[in-house]
Amino acid sequence: MQKRSFNLHKITDKRDLTDSTFVLRMERNGLEFLPGQHIQVGPPNGIHTREYSIYNAPSDDYLEILVREVENGLVTPALKKLVAGDSVVINDAVGYFTIEEAVKQKKTFLFVASGTGISPFHSFVKSYPGLDYRLIHGIKFAEEAYEKEAYKPSRYAACTSQDEGGDFHGRVTGWLEQNPVNSDTLCYLCGNCDMIYDVYDILEKQGVKSSDIFTEVYF
Amino acid sequence: MAQRILYLASLRLNNNMKVAFKTLGCRLNQYETDALAAQFKGNGYEVSEKEEGADVVVVNTCTVTNQSNQKSRYVISHAGRINPDAKMVITGCMAESHANQLQKKFPQATVINNKGKSGIFHSVDSLVKTGNAELSGEDYDLFSYQSFTEMFHTRSLIKIQDGCDNFCTFCIIPFVRGRAISRPVEQVLENVRDVVAKGAKEIVLTGVNISRYEYEGVKFSGLVDKILNLEGDFRVRISSIEPDRFDDHFFTLIGHPKLAPHLHLCLQSGSERILLQMRRMYTVKDYLNIVERVRKVDPASNFTTDIIVGFPGETEEEFEETMSIAREVGFGHMHIFKYSVRQGTRAERMPNHIPDKVKTERSKRMHELAEELTAAYRAPFDNTEQRILVEKWKDGVASGYNDYFVPMEFASDNKKRNRFEVVKARVKDFE
Repeated sequence: MQKRSFNLHKITDKRDLTDSTFVLRMERNGLEFLPGQHIQVGPPNGIHTREYSIYNAPSDDYLEILVREVENGLVTPALKKLVAGDSVVINDAVGYFTIEEAVKQKKTFLFVASGTGISPFHSFVKSYPGLDYRLIHGIKFAEEAYEKEAYKPSRYAACTSQDEGGDFHGRVTGWLEQNPVNSDTLCYLCGNCDMIYDVYDILEKQGVKSSDIFTEVYF
Repeated sequence: MAQRILYLASLRLNNNMKVAFKTLGCRLNQYETDALAAQFKGNGYEVSEKEEGADVVVVNTCTVTNQSNQKSRYVISHAGRINPDAKMVITGCMAESHANQLQKKFPQATVINNKGKSGIFHSVDSLVKTGNAELSGEDYDLFSYQSFTEMFHTRSLIKIQDGCDNFCTFCIIPFVRGRAISRPVEQVLENVRDVVAKGAKEIVLTGVNISRYEYEGVKFSGLVDKILNLEGDFRVRISSIEPDRFDDHFFTLIGHPKLAPHLHLCLQSGSERILLQMRRMYTVKDYLNIVERVRKVDPASNFTTDIIVGFPGETEEEFEETMSIAREVGFGHMHIFKYSVRQGTRAERMPNHIPDKVKTERSKRMHELAEELTAAYRAPFDNTEQRILVEKWKDGVASGYNDYFVPMEFASDNKKRNRFEVVKARVKDFE
């Protein structure tokens, strides 16, 4: 039986993206993963960990996760205090929110994210050059369009609900209602439960089959 | 390693040693117990499900809910009271998740985790013969259980898979069963051929998450197809399965004369929002679509299921949605669980846990509905001709399950079990 076991990985870099959101880069240490899979990460010597989709591509010799600090949280404030040279505990990657087979079939993708739910999509885009995708990112403020330069402007739309600095002022549901998708698009949704619930409904109304909608819930 | 060493020095060293097995929980545990028992029996031990007079009692525990933990502790304590001289071996998922606690509570027992389970025979047997009970490396193989027929069950359980990577937010099983792993196709087929040659009439495919079966490109439907095409007079039953990976190939198999028209398809909740919170990988619509496609081929197909009531945040309306879906499907049987917190799972940290009183009340209502639905599903089978696999005979009445997994009985002088009989029969305990 292969159980998930935690190993220490040294932090090699930390990029602050906003006051509360940052990217932790860690040693890879041979950890295998597919784009879209997630790992559990926690501070060393602690008993608590949290799940994070891997932010980078398997071809990189490091691991990255996108973290938003949760006020009074047990894990994220501790992760935020860590610096290069410190370590975290990580277990092996799991999850089925992957697109490898569909990429081989040259499918068209719609990615819908809320907040840090953009993480697996960042990994997809970095992993599969030439991917035919549209990424819709639901955030409150334009500054939360995390590293949007990673995506071609024509493929990325930041939907900002609380300022007008994004590509669309409103929620991702509003964007989708104004920009219906082709019914043969494979749709991947990652983020909070309410977003997924609402977007699912819209996509089905637009003719997307349930079997072509894939979800990864962030809590 | 220390906890996997058995201390059985005081056991009688003769061929009449008796090993008793107590099993809690899922079909996979039943399979593993049956396989271990067959191994002991094949090597000259007497095996039993009763602890009286046993030299060794093996308790195969379950930890899926709080109630499972309580039952496991009770069975261990009870066995110890009934037969205080027997050596106790505790294994299974609770031995994985609560090893230290169990060892503390039952200091004389030997606690063996899941990865050591398949080596229990070697541990006991080698200690008896050599005084050394350490497990060898090969005992770690999750599929190294031997094939068997007619141990404690007439139906022949076949393990095709172990572990789970789904990490549903309520579930402890991925933490105690480990990562998903599929048994090699040829091993499964060989196992089926072997038990069929030994006389098995019903093959039950079992594992932790069998819909995720995949071995060298062969997915679950591909494996089932290969099994159905093996020679022999047997039927195949699919045990508990998740509704998240049914491909078109699977539906082409529905209606195959060897495939029992029964799926234990886990629903858990009829609320789309709760399914998302549970991180289940299907929607209610997906579930109903599977039911519809199967019943298009055979409208009488039996769907049984697992339901969790009182998941954190479940509203009365969401609970009612589950009741409504249950009515719509017309489940032949429902396993109903009150949500219970499993340490380390995501749901443990969710807000709005439901008070136990409310969970109990919802559970009661769901049980009432389940009884009603079971009766309604079974009624049309009463007094009809069915193919029954005879599992028991008592006082001139043979009983067993039909292809649809409806328990039935009929008058018979033939005491032989594990035989098919096509006969006009009554639904068991039907009023």
